[in-house]
Amino acid sequence: MIIILADLLRAVAGRTLEELALIEERAMNIRLFFLSLVLVLAAIAAGVLITHQQAGAQQQVSLADMSTNASEWVMPGQDYANQRYSELDQITPDNVKNLKVAWMMSTGATRGHEGQPLVIGNMMYYQSAYPNHVYAINLNDNTIKWTFTPKQDAFAASVACCDLVNRGVAYDNGKVVMAALDGTVYALNASNGSVLWRAKNADPEAGQTITAAPLIVKNVVLVGVSGGEYGVRGYLTAFNLQNGHRVWKAYSEGPDSDTLTQSQFHGPHNAGISTWRGDEWKVGGGTTWGWYSYDPKLDLLYYGTGNPGTWNPTQRPGDNKWSMTIFARRPETGQAVWAYQMTPHDAWDYDGINEMILADIKVHGQEVPALVHFDRNGFGYELDRRNGKLLLAQKFDPSVNWATSINMQTGRPNVNSRYMTVAGKNVTGICPAAMGSKDEQPAAYDPTTGYFIVPTNHNCMDYKAFSVKYKSGFPFVGAIVKMYPGPGGNRGAVIAWDPNDGKIVWTDKERFPAWGGIVTTKTGLAFYGTMDGYFKAIDTKTGAELWKMKMPSGIIANPITYMHDGKQYVAILSGVGGWAGIGLAAGLTNPTAGLGAVNAAQDLGRYTTLGGDLVVFSL
Amino acid sequence: MILQAVILAASLLRVCADPNYLPFSNSAGQGFENKIATVVAHYLGRKLSYTWDSMRSEGGFEQFVHDTLDARRCDLIVDVPYATADLQTTKPYYISSYVFVYKKQRGYDLTSMDSPVLHHVKIGYETDTPAEGGLKARALTPGALPFEVAEHPDESPNVLLNAIEGNRINVGITWQPAIGYYLRNHPDLTIVTVPNTRSQGAPEQYSFPMAMGLRSDEGTLRDQLNRVIDQHRSQLDAVLKQYGVRFFNPEASYD
Repeated sequence: MIIILADLLRAVAGRTLEELALIEERAMNIRLFFLSLVLVLAAIAAGVLITHQQAGAQQQVSLADMSTNASEWVMPGQDYANQRYSELDQITPDNVKNLKVAWMMSTGATRGHEGQPLVIGNMMYYQSAYPNHVYAINLNDNTIKWTFTPKQDAFAASVACCDLVNRGVAYDNGKVVMAALDGTVYALNASNGSVLWRAKNADPEAGQTITAAPLIVKNVVLVGVSGGEYGVRGYLTAFNLQNGHRVWKAYSEGPDSDTLTQSQFHGPHNAGISTWRGDEWKVGGGTTWGWYSYDPKLDLLYYGTGNPGTWNPTQRPGDNKWSMTIFARRPETGQAVWAYQMTPHDAWDYDGINEMILADIKVHGQEVPALVHFDRNGFGYELDRRNGKLLLAQKFDPSVNWATSINMQTGRPNVNSRYMTVAGKNVTGICPAAMGSKDEQPAAYDPTTGYFIVPTNHNCMDYKAFSVKYKSGFPFVGAIVKMYPGPGGNRGAVIAWDPNDGKIVWTDKERFPAWGGIVTTKTGLAFYGTMDGYFKAIDTKTGAELWKMKMPSGIIANPITYMHDGKQYVAILSGVGGWAGIGLAAGLTNPTAGLGAVNAAQDLGRYTTLGGDLVVFSL
Repeated sequence: MILQAVILAASLLRVCADPNYLPFSNSAGQGFENKIATVVAHYLGRKLSYTWDSMRSEGGFEQFVHDTLDARRCDLIVDVPYATADLQTTKPYYISSYVFVYKKQRGYDLTSMDSPVLHHVKIGYETDTPAEGGLKARALTPGALPFEVAEHPDESPNVLLNAIEGNRINVGITWQPAIGYYLRNHPDLTIVTVPNTRSQGAPEQYSFPMAMGLRSDEGTLRDQLNRVIDQHRSQLDAVLKQYGVRFFNPEASYD
């Protein structure tokens, strides 16, 4: 009973009338005695409430503060910096060989799981792949406290580009926020799963869906959009955490008033129009389906935008800003402060949505507040996150050949003309392939070694750029994209990157694209899963494999680690799929399928099969 | 005399069209391209004239362009994919897509080229289209029935629908505007958009923005046409809807 009361009290403090009504409803289920007691206590709590609300003015600090407690995992990337690093130290390189499965549970979904659980207090919350079940698990007894499955517009499943994946939930202030594939965002009461508000951020009928995890910053919920294949004009939206009202919406293309590149912006104005021909910016792409990060001190939010609208580059002359761009924005207004475009006029499909990791590191010997980004185009970028100044850009896979280097003055790639794609010409041997040297799978920072541990893809492609033709009544495009393993025959690797000089320290080759994220821990361990179904622990310093275990399905999700009852746990979602594994996800296990466009992971079916499970390990 | 000819040319909208290719166009003016041309000529304040030539005889569309537009016998092709190679195009005035067509009563779970049901049905498709490319990429062309409506001057796109009705095929894949007009006579058939996808690794495009085509040196006419598209889009939409054309609109978004 004490627990219930504490729960209700916590729920009463600083909540809306609507929520209070819900709480009341719950209270009806116990006795009137308790209800009145609760109300009395609520009144008494008024004083506490005022203090709480004063603290509430700095809500971002409280979530940021929560993230400093290594026992919990309160946001997708562990902290606002997206470092995915844990101070927990019970599991060490010496004892990791004793790691065992502590408990497991089915997610009830079979498609690709690209997310991670959150742990807040004694509760764990996570979201499955489509149909996007959300589970709240009481870690004290491993019972399911509540589940939530949104009723979805089934059409969404048919327009999602690359499997029906999801990348997780967000939490703040007693609310679990989830985005469904069909574009609906739900705020759920963390204590009972009831819907507090819902908001629409994408329209499947227009090719728009949501796969990314939201991020909550300063009382706004940031939600992106997927659907670059359909010429969606990308945007990031901020919703008020309390009521779901839209606070701002920042497009990737269009006039300054749409891209919010106004008075605070250090960069060219109206470039979201002037770098396009005619009205093409209206279908300009630049979707926002990656990971978002935030620097509370600078009060800047960071994220990347995807490929420009149409696949046919000759159809869109110009730099096509702000596709393929890192944006720094104010979270409360959405106003952009700086922007950096990595791949102007993309002709290879190198989306720029991969995570931005914020770390104070040495670059060329100089301490700097940096933003580190491993782009799909194969270059690792390090920028001064205060102003977007480019400090370093080096290949993180030596096979990258579409550009020789990045011009440090202009920030533009020095494109190797041999690999520039041209309409009607089959250009062979381009590295990386369209999937990139790395996709959304998040890297981790390890402050103990100073390395970034990066999961990578290693595929190359033949590419005949699109040219549109007409066959008397029937439009079609001439295009060839063929992907195959890169030099050495491995299709992926996990690498360690020294940010000081942008050099690769070690490389662990993988048979398939390393499409699972990384977590690093204080004791010098890094954990990750592979598409062929192994969950591994390696030595951060050397890359040496210390432990592995075969999982129910291949892994494209991101490990977390947390403490419960004084014990360290590591958790991972197993459940293969995603772009690299969609052949399997869509039932295309026949290795002779894909004659025209070889899927770079066609033989995956020999190693694993579909199915979502949460697997939790401990010593 | 020369001056007179110039004035006459300027007051005419000379359209290149197929005399026998419904629902697109015919010499009796019954196709949707004819109706679009009428609307455009009206707003340009010009008199409509046609140069007739088959798009579907030897040499196909390329030969048609060579013999009509490039030979300066006419100045406008009403309906071509936006950014078609070797032509100048106006801005797009509608977007449509390839569709799956099948009998409603079959109740297929068919949402994309990767739907497993495609491995268990008889498929019909137009050759040399994205449908063929997508089927090939999934090893689905063996056993499927190819159609060549675009190669035979007397064939109607309706043949695909009749093949479904006659159970020669179970699922047809074709360009929606080619069959939209005939669907009203086939109330037992249903259509599902073929979504663009990268599921096989390579991007596959099934939706296309459509525009008007003209010679690349016609800047003034292009600007005039773009203005008509901007100002009278709803009227163009209405014509297309009358002909059962279904729009795919990726610009729609939540505001």
